[in-house]
Amino acid sequence: MPDYGHDLRFGSFVTPSAAAPHQVVALAELSEEVGLDLVTFQDHPYQAAFLDTWTLLSWVAARTERIRLAGNVLNLPLRPPAVLARSVASLDRLSGGRVELGLGAGGFWDPIVAMGGERLTPGESVDALSEGIDVIRGLWDTSTRERLVAGGAHHHVDGAKRGPAPAHDVEIWVGALKPRMLRLVGAKADGWLPSLPYLQSFEALARGNATIDAAAEDAGRDPRAVRRLLNVGGGFSADGGGGFLRGSPRQWAEQIAEVTLEHGVSTYVVMGDDPTTLAVVGQEVAPAARELVAAARGVPAPASAGPDGTTADGEVRA
Amino acid sequence: MTDYGHPLRFGTFVTPSAQDPEATVGLARLAEDLGYDLVTFQDHPYQPRFLDTWTLLSYVASATERIHVAPDVANVPMRPPAVLARAAASLDLLSGGRVDLALGAGAFWDAMVSMGVDRLAPGESVDALAEAIEVIRAIWGEDGESELFVPGRHHRLDGATPGPGTTRRIPVWLGALGPRMLRLVGEKADGWLPSLGRIGLDGLRAGNARIDAAATAAGRDPREITRLLNVSGTFGDADGANGLGGAPDLHGAPAAWVDRLLPLVLDEGVSTLVLATDDERTTRRFAEEVVPALREQVAHERAARGTDTSRVVPLAVRAARRDGIAYDEIPSSLAERAVEPGDAAYAGVRSNYLRGGSPGLVLRPRDTAEVVEALAFARAQAITRDVPLSVRSGGHGISGRSTNDGGVVIDLGALDTIEVLDDAARLVRVGPGARWGEVAAALSPRGWAITSGDYGGVGVGGLATAGGIGFLGRAHGLTIDHVRAVELVLADGSVVRASDDENPDLFWAVRGAGSQVGIVTSFDLVADEVAGVGFAQMVHDASDLAGFLERWGATVEAAPRDTTSFLLVGRPRPGQPVVAQSMTMVDSDDPDTVLARLQPFAAIAPLLAQATAQIVPYDAVVSAPQPGSHGGQGEPVSRSGLLEHLTPEAAARLAGLVLSGETYFFQIRSTGGAAEDVPADATAYAHRSARFSVVAMGASRSRLDARWDALADVFDGMYLSFDTDRRPETHAARLADAFPPATLDRLREIKRRVDPANVFRDNLPVLGPDPVDAEAAVR
Repeated sequence: MPDYGHDLRFGSFVTPSAAAPHQVVALAELSEEVGLDLVTFQDHPYQAAFLDTWTLLSWVAARTERIRLAGNVLNLPLRPPAVLARSVASLDRLSGGRVELGLGAGGFWDPIVAMGGERLTPGESVDALSEGIDVIRGLWDTSTRERLVAGGAHHHVDGAKRGPAPAHDVEIWVGALKPRMLRLVGAKADGWLPSLPYLQSFEALARGNATIDAAAEDAGRDPRAVRRLLNVGGGFSADGGGGFLRGSPRQWAEQIAEVTLEHGVSTYVVMGDDPTTLAVVGQEVAPAARELVAAARGVPAPASAGPDGTTADGEVRA
Repeated sequence: MTDYGHPLRFGTFVTPSAQDPEATVGLARLAEDLGYDLVTFQDHPYQPRFLDTWTLLSYVASATERIHVAPDVANVPMRPPAVLARAAASLDLLSGGRVDLALGAGAFWDAMVSMGVDRLAPGESVDALAEAIEVIRAIWGEDGESELFVPGRHHRLDGATPGPGTTRRIPVWLGALGPRMLRLVGEKADGWLPSLGRIGLDGLRAGNARIDAAATAAGRDPREITRLLNVSGTFGDADGANGLGGAPDLHGAPAAWVDRLLPLVLDEGVSTLVLATDDERTTRRFAEEVVPALREQVAHERAARGTDTSRVVPLAVRAARRDGIAYDEIPSSLAERAVEPGDAAYAGVRSNYLRGGSPGLVLRPRDTAEVVEALAFARAQAITRDVPLSVRSGGHGISGRSTNDGGVVIDLGALDTIEVLDDAARLVRVGPGARWGEVAAALSPRGWAITSGDYGGVGVGGLATAGGIGFLGRAHGLTIDHVRAVELVLADGSVVRASDDENPDLFWAVRGAGSQVGIVTSFDLVADEVAGVGFAQMVHDASDLAGFLERWGATVEAAPRDTTSFLLVGRPRPGQPVVAQSMTMVDSDDPDTVLARLQPFAAIAPLLAQATAQIVPYDAVVSAPQPGSHGGQGEPVSRSGLLEHLTPEAAARLAGLVLSGETYFFQIRSTGGAAEDVPADATAYAHRSARFSVVAMGASRSRLDARWDALADVFDGMYLSFDTDRRPETHAARLADAFPPATLDRLREIKRRVDPANVFRDNLPVLGPDPVDAEAAVR
């Protein structure tokens, strides 16, 4: 099912280096200034050279006003979901509704165990993620005052009070590659957030989407309920030799529009710490890609609002 | 009567209400504006009316600038301690040292179980907390181990890595009630944070006594443990509501509050008072009407009693101290930034770029006055007789060690300003702690550059007192040739200026042998006009290595002065061609000129990869370094030699060295050109006729020395910065290599005048490696 019709969004993926905390925060602030929609950080709590991702997100929230914030993706094995749920809801409230939950089942078990976590098999980690999602959504759901009983063998709550609710409907985006996880995404998540370098090909992306679509339908959900995000890497050059995201900003926009229309990816998270790249993505690539996609969809281009709220004028290309 | 003499601090305890998050944060901001030292929030992750405490603390710290933040107290059963430790270290780094970590064993077990936590009996929860503290301190690197193992039943580490390094030792406070917890405070914690309403005065007294006894039994000074206290109050009647539940501890007029609190400080050892209130007016009145009166009366009474208010150093830190340094006598101006082996910051300052160190003390002065104090302190330490004082600018010293084992290091990193003094004259003033990449970046917008070596991470102080053979050297000379004046701290602590007009002798010495005569705290340099440069890296097939070196040398000498080239020859690998990499800079932004200069280099030998050439600003080549500390280990082995021409014989002999495989880093820098315009006796760097500077580093000192010594006749001197030969039997030969006879004599004469005791003897010292009994010298 190509093109789920989602709005195009662009984000950054800043290395959370502990050696340069202020540079990291500055890149997050820059992401907002150049008009990106989202700033994200990876989460490897066993990595001593990194800042703690949740602390960093909370810090960045207080330094920004409009940009969305997400872990990419938060490490569930080392972050118990009940407290995580409340943390996300709290930051969403503090930030005026700007937090989304990028969540992962964890993959590097040796360092997780080194930090005092439990080793899970791949199958168990999928179950644990599924339980975690149930606990998190349950705690956020204050439409009922009934105490929450949710989860299973790995994560559970038994009579917990619900709330506080987040300030908006927080989306749960899951990083996933293998079939069981993909089916979980289709059944329970609000977004799929893989990394293109790990997927290795657009064919793999297409297969992943198909698996998610089928699982969503099996669960009685519209596949469009699952946003398709993608972590990508790239650089700018005059020509790029035709590689994906290796050429000019115009070429980037064209390639991105193509992937959106053909594969339904709507959020592109650009990995890397180069301020110039982020600026070009936010100020040139994003508006151009939006125009191309809007033209192809036959709808007006959305207003690309700059940091001061002005709208960019532009040609609509057929 | 107990007063531990701790500084008086005040905090607030604000309900972490989720209802109006902005108001909650607003109360924290208010506390900061009113001068409170600390804002705290309770931690009940099962309470949906509350915001998550850690999230809130991080947000509040980001929204404030000076106030400390702390949980009051963190719910350890619900927060895996390893992750909590990294989070606290991260918040410490982000906030500049403003997080304090108060922990609790957990109390509301039914609520916690409903959230999925396993129930623990009270005794087990204390054990778990003790394990958590061990995990946390290990993650913070307090053990000094690089792989962490804590075999706990409740919390464990199994090969985790410590880090990130914090700005200072984060205090661990415990909310504690029972005897086992109090004993844990005395044995392991840095503070006790109970609530007055729950323990009462008797409980406070008894608790302090238990803590003191446990501390003493563990070999700690009870003064190492801060006594904090949550109190509640209303300025109205005793029936007023308060933030801790139950009747308020304090009520009535501010004077009544002072009467009630004063004995808690003076007699019961409390030094940090945390007021539980969400009421803006109460927060304000406490700060404006209670705190000042308390401060005044406490100060008055302590003075009258002669209370010991000196800083207490934790046992863990004291245990790591080295002999021969009077740590408790560090001048107050330097004490806060001084780093000793037990400090969290030690790992980041102990080593330099190529060399591991274990100094006894690293002093980090911020200005010239503090450099003077640091030097005086260092000189007065017994250890400095045996371990020469080390001075560090950027930490890239090869011959200048900039670290040591057990001695004192003066780290000039904070003297890093770069300012333009005179735009027309292109005169800039730079501190020794700035790095050359930062200087290049600062000058680039004006179209200026100062030639400085090949790497932007190198510090100004070391290079600008030794020579400075850089990519613009043939065009513009050595770095020292751009120095017009310095501010210099001499061994006796006097601060002098040296230039052509003032102290010309010192000015002569400081350019080429600066490390021998004092500590330069400021350089005045003239920049050159450099709009853009051509820069090319080429990879050459140097299979005929001797021939290649000879031809490269000839190409360099034939090139106009606008062209400078450096050469790196890789260690030969069996079955592979010898590869040489050249880096050539042309002082021109005209593409035709640049190409014309580079062509001859491309023609020396077949190129193994496409040559890349660009026209860039100078600071794109000598660029600002990545932040982060040095992590050198061991000792570098490096030899240096200068020569005029790469003659066929010299080329053959040097090729032999490379082909022996004994050097993993072999570099030849072209020099000469404008550097030759300066007379040999104008500066302490006398090698003005040298056109090539060779450096070789190796893994084995003995094997490299054997080969290098055999090359002695190839060279005419050496660049002292790149040579680490410290054999006593070759000291005289190395001195002769670095300083021709007339230069050496003049330098020694100056040295005897300004540093008769040989304080500055870390870097090929002209008076020998030992301190000189100054009185005997005078006699």
